[in-house]
Formats: sequence, C-alpha cells, structure tokens
Amino acid sequence: MPGRFLPPKKIECQTVTPILADSAAPRSRTQRQSILKQIMGMPAGAIFLVFMALQIVCIAGALLYPNEFRYLSPQNLTILMKAVPVLGCLALGAGVLMIAGEFDLSIGSVYTFTAVLMASLVGAGVSAFVAAPLGILAGVLIGLLNGQITIRFGLPSFIVTLGGLLFWRGAVLLYNGAVQVRFDPEPVFTSLFSGTLLGINAAFIWIVLFVVGFHFLLHRHRFGNHVFATGGNRGAAEAIGINTNRVKLIAFAIAGGMAAVAGILATARVGSVQPGQGAGLELQAIAACVIGGLSLRGGRGSIIGIFLGVLLIHTITDVLLLLRAPGFYLDMFIATLIVLAAIFNHLIERRGVA
Amino acid sequence: MSNLLELHNISKSFGALTALRNLSFHIGEGEVVGLLGDNGAGKSTTVNLISGIHKPTDGYLSVDGRKTLFTCRSDSADAGIETIYQHTALVDSLSITRNIFMGRELTDRFGFLRQAEMREIAMEVLQNAVHISGIDSPDTLVGNLSGGQKQAVAIARAVYFKKRVLLLDEPTSALSVRETEALLNQVLKLKAENVSSVLVTHNIYHAYQVCDRFVIMSHGTKVFDVAKADTTINQLTDYVVLT
Repeated sequence: MPGRFLPPKKIECQTVTPILADSAAPRSRTQRQSILKQIMGMPAGAIFLVFMALQIVCIAGALLYPNEFRYLSPQNLTILMKAVPVLGCLALGAGVLMIAGEFDLSIGSVYTFTAVLMASLVGAGVSAFVAAPLGILAGVLIGLLNGQITIRFGLPSFIVTLGGLLFWRGAVLLYNGAVQVRFDPEPVFTSLFSGTLLGINAAFIWIVLFVVGFHFLLHRHRFGNHVFATGGNRGAAEAIGINTNRVKLIAFAIAGGMAAVAGILATARVGSVQPGQGAGLELQAIAACVIGGLSLRGGRGSIIGIFLGVLLIHTITDVLLLLRAPGFYLDMFIATLIVLAAIFNHLIERRGVA
Repeated sequence: MSNLLELHNISKSFGALTALRNLSFHIGEGEVVGLLGDNGAGKSTTVNLISGIHKPTDGYLSVDGRKTLFTCRSDSADAGIETIYQHTALVDSLSITRNIFMGRELTDRFGFLRQAEMREIAMEVLQNAVHISGIDSPDTLVGNLSGGQKQAVAIARAVYFKKRVLLLDEPTSALSVRETEALLNQVLKLKAENVSSVLVTHNIYHAYQVCDRFVIMSHGTKVFDVAKADTTINQLTDYVVLT
C-alpha cells in the first residue's frame, strides 16, 4: 500500500529541519536566544507570559473539574467580558497620562460625575446620542482643567488630581444627592453599548477597538512618540522642540475623556448610576498600568501591557470568586500582584532593558 | 567673507550677576573652535546663548553676516546650530531610530510614523555617518548604550539633519579613552564635510588634538583668541589657569 510509506518520509523531513536550524543559529545573537527570552525581551512580554500561564491553568482546571470550577461556562465568560471594558477604558486613559509622566487620581470621580450628568440629561428628555458626547466633553474639559492647573502652577499632578477626586465626588452629591439615577436611553443606544454581536458583548468589542486605536496612536503615531519622549526625558524632548506642556495637556484630556467613556459603558450595562460607584477605580486603573509594565516615572510601557494588566486583574478576581474565596482575598491578591509587578519593573529598568 | 556665526559685544546679566561681559568671537565655515576656561568662566552661558535658551542683555549674534536674534531653541536649530548636551539630549526609554527622529518624525498625511523608512535611514546614518562600535541595531534602546555611544547617536542626529555647527558641551567628560578618541575623530570627519564644531571643555589636551582655534574665557569675557599654529599647549594652560 502506498500509504504505508508515508510515515518514514515524514520522519525524514523532521530530521532535516533541526539541522538547518542549528546551522543557522550562530549567525545572529537574537536567533540563539530561546523563544522564552525573546518574549521576555518584548514590551509587555513578561506580563504576557504570566497571563498565558494563568489562562492555561484556569482552562486545564475547568476541563478537569467542569462542575466545580466553571471558568469556561458561557455565563462566566460573559461576566468577564462585561467586567473588563469599564476598567479597561479607565486604565487606557490613565496609562497614556502615566507614560507622559503624570497621574490622574480623579478619573474614578470623573467617571461617576459624567455618568450622572449623562443619565440625568437623558432623564430630562435629551437623546442619549447627544447626552453621551456631552458626557465625554465634560470628561475632556475636567481633564484639561487638571492639566492646566498642574502645568500652570508647576504642581505635582498627584496633588492636583487628589483635589479633583474629592471635588468631583462632592459635585456628584451636590448635583444629584445620594440617590441612584435611572438611565433609560433609546433601545438602539443600549444595544450599541451593551448588546451582543456574534455572541460577544458589545462593550467588549468597544474596548478591543479602543485598545487597537490607542495602540496605533501611541506606538505608530507622531503624538505617541512625543508622549514617550515627554515622559522619558522632558529636557531632551523640549530641547528638540517638542511642546511637552501641550503633550501633557492632551494626555490629561484623554484620561478625562476615557473616564467618561467608561461611565457610558457602565451605565448602559446596568441601566442606572450609583453616586458612589467610582470610588477606588482610579487606583485599580493605575494598578492595571503598573502590572502591565508602565513605569511610575513615565516614559515606559505599552498599550498591550495595560490591557493585559486589566485582563489579569479581572481574571484573578473571577477565579477567586469561582473558588468562593471571601472578598478580602481579592484585595490581598491584587495588592500582592501590584507590588510584585512594581519590583519586577524596577529590576528591568535598572538593567536598562524593557 | 562673512563668518558662519559671530558674537558681537555680548553681555548677559542675571539680575545683579553679570555672567558675560562684552564677549565677541566668531566661528568660521568648517572650523573647529575650542571654547576653554575654568568653571564659572561663562562657557555654559555662552552655549545657552548661542542655542537660544538665553537672550543677550546687550550685543547681538549674526549668522552668515546677518544680525539675528534667537528667542528659543528652535530658532537656533533653524539656523543650523545643534547643541549636544551631555545628559539631556536623548530619551533612554526609546530606540535609537526614535531618538534620531524625535520631534522631526517622518509621517504620512495623518501623522502616522513611516517606521520602515526611518529605521532604514537610522541604520544608514549609524553605519556611514558615524562609526559606533557595538551597536548592531537601530532598534536598541538608548538606555542600553554607553556614554560615548549615546553621544554618537546625538551626533548622528545632527549629521542627518544637516546641521552646520555642532555645539558640544563638555563632550568628553563622561567618556572612556577609546570613546573620546572616536568622538574627536568624528569631529574631524565632520570638519572634512564642512561642518563646524565648538568644543566647550576644560580639558585642554582633548581640545588641542582637534581644534583649529582656541577661545579662552575668564570671568565672563574673552581673554585669548589664537590659532593653533600660533600657540602651544603650555601657553593655553597658562591662560586658562592664570587669568
């Protein structure tokens, strides 16, 4: 039978390829490095490995104990997809600003404030398609205000936006009181931001689009290069003629605008706004950035890293919930992860490799 | 024939402090000038003035014989003057390519980077314009380079953007012996391509190796201006130390 001769042939091919690879290897240093080292050398490579390892363990666990550990159940995957976008939007904005060398602690409060603003406008009869852009505009303006104060007076943005955090949290209560606001937009609006497309949650599609867009903006566009230069070495950037104040101002605006976008996604999902819902989110967003490999001193990091940081936080939260761990374990786990990530990043920075 | 850059009776005061007094000197086409002097002689103020960071209190600069006023860094850059500071020139967390094109990126109509093109140019500049040992890829992060390699990248940037005068502020103070040698050769090579250089330094020996002319400053003004042929290293040392 001719088919019986096929297996030996295959083996022959397999024996040829390794020899080729061996003879080609010494030519360049990068080829000699193992794939593992190559991935570690890429931006966000280390976080990618951690993320993949966690996924493999989770998927293996779910396949072995499908009834006890329902990681792969459709319900769980939907919960994950719904949870990621809000923190994702906040972290993308906060991350761009962090790479530019500044912080924004007010995004959690801005997220709530703009959501309340949008929901109450819709409650007053305004179309959601008008109210949502107005919410984003409010977020952008608040970001610009934070930036102006920081730059004009030469203050640390940490302090300015700490003020912002308290101010806008108070503004929510002043404007609305401590009651929840119902959000009843047109059905088209709801399905656009919290419906499903081909079984995938709409908000998740949005966050993926944002990640792709931000990736191109930061890593493939002139503006991104200026952001890295501003955060990496402000003196050098200015010496070469980059207007670093303008770059920072735009980054502040992006952080504020993305906080408002997060507010829209969250509000469309739940159908109402709680005045206290944003508390602590700003810290989670910064945590996601740090886990994703951003330097607290600015100038380093990647959009993919930020997104992986967000995914990692939510995967771990999800796993702990599935294992029915008490709530305080979540915080302790995330806390450990942040510190470990910061130590790891610091070691990489000192070695000068990123 | 007019000189490339001239300083005419320049004075600069910061409040009650007079940093420069009645300073005049010139830099010719393809000339390497050593600006020497002890600490506090006013060298850095002079560099900042030429690169447009400071404005003169009195007096003026002229480029190609035309009186000009530099109000900011980009004015001097437009006139073809590139200042290479020791520490502030490059961003460590960006690649060599991105540093070379920082602020002057090649982009398409929408501002997206033409990465392949920039990478190719960077590769060419690194291989041909400046010979830097140990750099194998323009994708290397500048933070991984040595002091001399960093300066070579900064020079490569100036060369690619066709600058006419390089102001090198204390270029050799952080370099190894071999790197210093490479840097000084680089200056001579640029001179052959008609690029002028100003070496601001207090290392007279390094300056003596490559400079055509020496301007010695003390207490904010020029005390000596001499061509290399008319002086000796001992005389230069005396002027720097004793005035």
